[in-house]
Amino acid sequence: MKLVTHTWRTLISRPPFYVMAIFFLFMLLVPVMTNDLYLIGVLVLANVYAIFASSWDILSGYSGKENFGHTLFIGAGAYGAAYLNLYLGVPPMLNLVLCGLIGAVFGILIGIPCLPLVGPYLALATMAAASIAERLTMIFSKYTGGEEGLYGLEPITAGPVGDYYLSLILVIITTVILMAIGYSKQGLILRSIKEDETASEAAGINTTRYKLVAFAISAFFAGMGGAFYAHYQMYTGPSSLSIIMAITIIIICMIGGMGTIVGPVLAAYMLTVSNEFLRSIGDFRLLVYTGLLVVIVLFLPRGVFTVILERLPRFGQNREASKP
Amino acid sequence: MVALEILIYGAVLSGIYALLAVGFALIFGVARVINLTHGAFYMLGAYTTYALSVLLNVPLILSILGGMAFVFILALCLDRFIIERIRTTMINVLITTLALSLFADQVILQIFGPDNRNIPAVISDRVTLLGVDIAGQRLLSLIISVAVIATLWLIITRTRMGNALLATAQDPEAAQLMGINTGRMFMITMGIAAMMAALAGGIVGSFLTVAPEMGMLPIIKAFSIVILGGLGSLGGSIIAALLIGYLETSVAYLISFNATELVPLVIIFVTLTFRPAGIFGKRRGF
Repeated sequence: MKLVTHTWRTLISRPPFYVMAIFFLFMLLVPVMTNDLYLIGVLVLANVYAIFASSWDILSGYSGKENFGHTLFIGAGAYGAAYLNLYLGVPPMLNLVLCGLIGAVFGILIGIPCLPLVGPYLALATMAAASIAERLTMIFSKYTGGEEGLYGLEPITAGPVGDYYLSLILVIITTVILMAIGYSKQGLILRSIKEDETASEAAGINTTRYKLVAFAISAFFAGMGGAFYAHYQMYTGPSSLSIIMAITIIIICMIGGMGTIVGPVLAAYMLTVSNEFLRSIGDFRLLVYTGLLVVIVLFLPRGVFTVILERLPRFGQNREASKP
Repeated sequence: MVALEILIYGAVLSGIYALLAVGFALIFGVARVINLTHGAFYMLGAYTTYALSVLLNVPLILSILGGMAFVFILALCLDRFIIERIRTTMINVLITTLALSLFADQVILQIFGPDNRNIPAVISDRVTLLGVDIAGQRLLSLIISVAVIATLWLIITRTRMGNALLATAQDPEAAQLMGINTGRMFMITMGIAAMMAALAGGIVGSFLTVAPEMGMLPIIKAFSIVILGGLGSLGGSIIAALLIGYLETSVAYLISFNATELVPLVIIFVTLTFRPAGIFGKRRGF
């Protein structure tokens, strides 16, 4: 018990945790403060992107194995949800878990051949895997609806506010679990793989196992997010598998700060919301994202929120003692 | 008959792929940079040629040269102001160049709109070669690809500058100690490769679609070809370009046009998982 309270105190004293706690409390109150359904719709989208970005981060941000085909897992979840719901009548809530598992299976299937690959090789292999999936949906358009996609999924909740709360709860669950993993031994070992994989192997760590677990976790949450997105839109299409989507997710993570979970989550909200304000002028989403990314890479290579979080104080404990 | 068609159309496609992939491989070999803006250079070459020839009525050949010049300057700026500063981190280079190429797509989309464009052909007649009817421009693009790659080969192997490029590729530090300005070598490589991509964009504009996202697929293919051939090996890239070009043409003729994009992707995925060094690479680039 003492250990639990101590761990809890250590965690809550750190900037990433109290910032997230305050942020989520605020987000829970949004539907109370506004009736603007358009804004709530935008925030649901931001929630979805937060799930996608943080699930990318636990694998790629932590271990440095940059996955350029994260959409494969999202698409697996989205199409999985469509098939399960349309053909087998699986209820949406159960689909969230089932499609997370489908995603995780894909994560392991893709993870195994990709494990030994590094840098650009991994980037190309994962990008190719996602593109193969995208092409397959076009070729087997009889079963996948091709360009049109699959329509008529059951809505997941009764209305926009319900969707908002459900998606926000999913973000909170995802963020808490992923942050806990990030601070656990698993996260530490993934970081050590990023620093020097050979050295971690020499230290007796079975890096393969940890990387595979990371692939599965990352893909689980991506699949779950994909399933939510499909039910929320009541539709799924090949755009959920597109390379552009995969790149957008990486850009969100790099702007927020890779390997922090908090950074990508906050960046997902920042970028999605700011993009909606720009929509009145024109569709400049990719223009803004890519332009901003170049500026960030050149001037704040570790990400916006990493820099901010480091400047915030820690509470309630001796600074010296808490240093790693 | 089909065999002859595959032979000739495959050669044309391979030539274009080789033109893109050799430039891409050159940048990697000399500067150790995976430059994903290469596809954007191809697209910008096509659009500059289109803007000059169709909108401003400049003679076509001058327009193509204009496109090359524009992309050349752009590439030098890119190298000098962006890549030079992030060269050491592979992920930053990958994602920044990819982001920049999307940025270029979006800028072109805002200026020209999403419609497909057409660039007039230098040779608009059709030619019959070995009993196969083919647009003259396609044949011209094959001849140009072969000529440009051969010239590049001569420059690299026969001239002093070529030697300096090779030395930089082998060991940048040692090359610098021998008095080679490696920074300039990186810029020259980038410039040459960008011009080749722009040239490809300018000549294919009459028979392939010119659209803002036209660079996306070719760059994934060039990347694939270069990895298949072994990163940094120019000869390997050319052979891999032939392989992919012929494979795609055969699949389009014999199986289904829909499956064309799929086959090279599957090959890449399989190659990467079983032999990441590629067919001719002696070792991994990383």
